[in-house]
Amino acid sequence: MSMILYHGEPNGPSLAVLAALAETGVAVECRPIDLLAGERHTLPGIDHPLARDMGLEGEGPVLVAAGEAMTESVFLAQFLDETAGGAGLQPTDPYAHWDMMMWCRQITERLAPAASLLGNLANAQGPLAAVDNTKFAAITGAIVNDDLRARWQALHDDQVDAAQVADSETKVDQAVERCEAKLADGRDWLMGEFSIADLETYGWLAGMASLRPAAFAAAPRTVAWLARVKARPSVAAALARATTAEPLRAWAPGPEINRWG
Amino acid sequence: MSDITLYHWEPNANSGKPMLALMEKGVEFSSHYIDMLQFDQHKPEYLAINPQGTIPAMTHGSRVLTESTAIMEYVNEEFAGPELMPADAQDRWRVRWWMKFMDQWLAPSFSMFGWKFFVGPNAVAAHGKDKLEEAIARIPLPERQIAWRKAVYGLFSEAEMAESGRRIGVGIRMLEQELGQHQWLASDTYSLADVNGFNLAYAMPLSQPHLANDEVTPNIMRWLRAIYARPATRACWKLGRTHMASRVAILEQDYIAPKDESEGISSGIRSELDSGALSR
Repeated sequence: MSMILYHGEPNGPSLAVLAALAETGVAVECRPIDLLAGERHTLPGIDHPLARDMGLEGEGPVLVAAGEAMTESVFLAQFLDETAGGAGLQPTDPYAHWDMMMWCRQITERLAPAASLLGNLANAQGPLAAVDNTKFAAITGAIVNDDLRARWQALHDDQVDAAQVADSETKVDQAVERCEAKLADGRDWLMGEFSIADLETYGWLAGMASLRPAAFAAAPRTVAWLARVKARPSVAAALARATTAEPLRAWAPGPEINRWG
Repeated sequence: MSDITLYHWEPNANSGKPMLALMEKGVEFSSHYIDMLQFDQHKPEYLAINPQGTIPAMTHGSRVLTESTAIMEYVNEEFAGPELMPADAQDRWRVRWWMKFMDQWLAPSFSMFGWKFFVGPNAVAAHGKDKLEEAIARIPLPERQIAWRKAVYGLFSEAEMAESGRRIGVGIRMLEQELGQHQWLASDTYSLADVNGFNLAYAMPLSQPHLANDEVTPNIMRWLRAIYARPATRACWKLGRTHMASRVAILEQDYIAPKDESEGISSGIRSELDSGALSR
């Protein structure tokens, strides 16, 4: 079965999945797309667009397998690991596996929307506001998901909710604190053994170092961990796919901020 | 004596997920009912087990597990019994995708209706608003405090309710479409996605009679009845103590015709409330 991975610049969920792909060695054709030009919404040859349209991750990578558009970076990393017959990205012990999934959910539910909001406001809002109205209408017209289209529109229109920004800054700080606590016993990787948790957390957190340096000032173990992940051959290979000088500043609308319950 | 204890409320939504998963696996466990409307989940003896004060939680020996979907995955991997994940990697991805979509997008919208029309009014009827404020102030998670205040004081805005209503409509159409492609939600194998989805959807023919019925959503109805027919489901729903769980009996009807939206959850639950029949 030939598979195609449509991905953005190596940052956020695209970075996590590109690195997972390199870790597992699964045969997948990688095709870079310009997420901020809306190219994710006009991909060809997809019979089952459900996940591409309604995935919660926003502008994350899309893996097309047998005509099905697959999304959500943690689950794509699991899929690649399991397709490879177990490439060591997930603990085999059920309790350790539960622990990893709980960690990843914290990251995707709390850190990812926060990092995405801050990253987009700092880096994507300007370029998007400069897009002329006809072109922007064509981009958003291709987006099926009402919620995601609303996030594009809010970013384009520079609608900034100060409370959401403050909450996002707090959540980034808390994610760093959580990493620092996890690494306090001197371990190299978040869950002990290297895992999807390292890739997913790195993907969302690496770009925050320049945006929110104060969060990392008292977190030497997290800073060292970021350097270890970056030096990993799979992550280096993913970062080498960048077509811009600073891929960690490449953002496009991401997950929604939790609204209820 | 089992070394597994599940702390749960009704077989419904999050509590019902690990309850049904354990029963499908045939795992013996001690059932510890946490009466959410009596705030059992914020009492010191429960906070000693789960300091966040959320339900459900499960202990297995010295291990403490939280988060309903993650507990289900643990149950499936840790214990012998029928496999509740498909063998194929892409099918497994689909199980996970649907569970996240339901847990984080669709269920919160259903939950808003449930809290507005069931949890809030029942809690007020049982305790009065003054005592409730004291109980709410003891809730560990700030976001749960917000949820309780909104439910108790009726603070859900029209915009919020309309947005949840829209999402419920979209979600039901998506479920119907997906169930037209496989026997079960994520593949042709019964899985955790079905356990999860049933807990979300079992009462839809009552709560959204205009959107979920044998005319509009035949695939959803086929799916709900097939899950209801399983012995584990029957046993699980017997653990319910309130009217909420007994709604599952709607699935014993062979044909459910469309009804007007006004005959849905809000009026039905309210009339039950007026008669005081909701919580034993």
